[in-house]
Amino acid sequence: MKIDLTFIWTAFLQILPAIPTTLVITLVSVLAGFVIGLLAALARIYKVPVLGQAASAYVTFIRGTPMLTHLLLIYFGLPVLLDALSAQFGWGFKSASIPMIGFAFISFSITAGAYMSEVIRSGLLAVDRGQLEAAYSVGMTTPQALRRIIFPQALSVSIPNLSNSVIGMLHGSTLAFTVSVVDINAKAQIVASTNWKFFEAYIAAALIFWGLTLLIERLTAVIEKRMNLYNRGGIV
Amino acid sequence: MGAPFDLSFIFRFFPKLLDTLGLTLLIVAGSLAAGIFAGFLVALPRMYNVPVLKRFSQVYVSFFRGTPILIQLFLFYYGLPEILKLAGIDISKAPVLFFVIITYGLNTGAFLSETIRASVTAVNRGQIEAAYAVGMTGYQAFSRIVWPQALAVAVPVFSNVVLALLKDTSLAFTLGVMELTGKAQTLGALTQHFVEAYISLALIYLVISLVLERLLKLAERRLLRHEQPVSTGGGRFRLWFRLPRARSYRQLIADANAGKGGAEL
Amino acid sequence: MIKLKNIHKSFGRQQVLKGIDLTVQKGEVVVILGPSGSGKTTLLRCVNYLEKPGDGEILIGDYHLNCRHAGKKEIHALRQKSAMVFQQYNLFRHKTAVENVMEGLLVVKKLSKEEAYRRSAELLEKVGLGSRLDAYPSQLSGGQQQRVGIARALALEPEVILFDEPTSALDPELVGEVLEVIRRIAAEGITMIVVTHEIGFARDVANHIVFMDGGVIVEEGSPAEVLSRPKEERTRQFLKRITPEPNYSI
Repeated sequence: MKIDLTFIWTAFLQILPAIPTTLVITLVSVLAGFVIGLLAALARIYKVPVLGQAASAYVTFIRGTPMLTHLLLIYFGLPVLLDALSAQFGWGFKSASIPMIGFAFISFSITAGAYMSEVIRSGLLAVDRGQLEAAYSVGMTTPQALRRIIFPQALSVSIPNLSNSVIGMLHGSTLAFTVSVVDINAKAQIVASTNWKFFEAYIAAALIFWGLTLLIERLTAVIEKRMNLYNRGGIV
Repeated sequence: MGAPFDLSFIFRFFPKLLDTLGLTLLIVAGSLAAGIFAGFLVALPRMYNVPVLKRFSQVYVSFFRGTPILIQLFLFYYGLPEILKLAGIDISKAPVLFFVIITYGLNTGAFLSETIRASVTAVNRGQIEAAYAVGMTGYQAFSRIVWPQALAVAVPVFSNVVLALLKDTSLAFTLGVMELTGKAQTLGALTQHFVEAYISLALIYLVISLVLERLLKLAERRLLRHEQPVSTGGGRFRLWFRLPRARSYRQLIADANAGKGGAEL
Repeated sequence: MIKLKNIHKSFGRQQVLKGIDLTVQKGEVVVILGPSGSGKTTLLRCVNYLEKPGDGEILIGDYHLNCRHAGKKEIHALRQKSAMVFQQYNLFRHKTAVENVMEGLLVVKKLSKEEAYRRSAELLEKVGLGSRLDAYPSQLSGGQQQRVGIARALALEPEVILFDEPTSALDPELVGEVLEVIRRIAAEGITMIVVTHEIGFARDVANHIVFMDGGVIVEEGSPAEVLSRPKEERTRQFLKRITPEPNYSI
């Protein structure tokens, strides 16, 4: 078996159509994860009874276990749970109607939520307490202070970590193959095994992921530059 | 899908899964050793600004951080034998575990090299000057002054890398390695009690993670004991003086942490 | 004796030292005064080669170094002739007070652990920290840290101790304790070059005062000459701006 360089290009072209699937999974899990993460972070910072502890347990569990196990648990566990509930309450709902990619969405969002809650929490805690006091001193309410003063500052410190989370989810989306979703990785497997050229196919897939990652990093740098204008001082 | 849920299976699966714990930990330990070695090798050219090698290090780090570990795993499993064959070395008979450890080692090395670099640069320049002023050579200054302090800064990030590595080992099953996850899948398929098998699996990972985290936390506390306040003695200046320091140390750690903040598999 | 000849130093295109000549006799305390940016700290750091002079010669005791061909070995040898007390103390953060003092004795002077400990403890006792041997820098006040720094320098028994604004990072109420220690050491006849803004201290302790501005030595002489009857207009301007504190308390 010799390395067939031209096949890398062929594989590259065949894998390209799978990029949107990877991006959709990444995007959905990041967006849903952000919302979950924000709620969990707030519940913990404000030590909301019950919810605060629940959020802590959720974050500990998810961060302490591989993303793959989350997917497997959701994939095998959720239908059992839903069908049981459905039978109990007569919803007439069948878990079989959930599309495969739905499991990936749900599971990855749960994973992303835990990691992002840590990112958001450390971002919020990084904002100086004096900022909140100053906001109160000009007469803002807590929600106003959070929305107008704290969140923007927290967001700008969190950008590098958020970007890492996005990249983590992009890379994590390769697990979708275990629930038969054809993303970049699964497509590479298909291309590899039908042509019996594994190495070449995975080189193509790796290059695509590498490119996407560099793109995210570049975008992050641009966003960071814009958001941190206020930090630099001087005339812009 | 599968047999009806039965709680008792979770407990019944524990001992069976724990049989493979050794293999999972072996992958972690092997990869970590390889990773520390690779990390230093890659960090040095960048710290000392060696022209061509520096560029190579950057590409290495960028590649391993820029591609999913799952892809890397397949890439090395299928690619390494072919590349080495060009050099006349035949490793097609090497055990799968070898490829797994090589891949995770190289991957971990990329993240560790960043940590090593960040921690060393995090040590205050004044510390090196003081070492020189005392009359130390460059090597003495590094080994006695910079390195111990850098180590303390590096531990939290190192801890993240180790935990990420533990979780990443769950992917080794894709190459047919019978570690924790592979075993759980087999047990699930055998008994049709998938959910119970995976709950059992998740709990085991959780406990190992927590234990590892605790151990590394202890190591960190020990290495950072010089930054801890004592409750006895000390005057009113202490408060004024220490606060900014303590904060700056946290800042350093946060900076160094930026390397691997994302979700791991 | 310390002799600096024609020391030059530039940062990029900016010339910071424009040919400094300075002689310090054994046992002398030389205080360098000057506005910020005058090059006084840079000069001091050149003596210890923490800055590499562009040109010039440095002579400390019997060791002579031409800055044009100074290799690693020469620099290392030169550094062993002097010790430095830093503005930011720069105590080794991961070592206790006594370990900080021991470090140079163990690594450079190759003393045994017991001997190094004995001498370090003695020196810390001398600077008034006999009870804080095992404290880490983070557990000490600024004044205490700086006194450890002084003990660390003393331990090496160098030809000269260089003080780089040793009190300017301190809270006002801590300045006195550090100056007192320096004054006591000076009385023992240890050669020192001190960069400071404490005019009162300079008047009391210095044998010789050097006033620098714009990278050159503007004026030098005894404290009485330079501080009370400055010849140069620039010196007068500077002294007028720094209100002397005649009763710095000890």
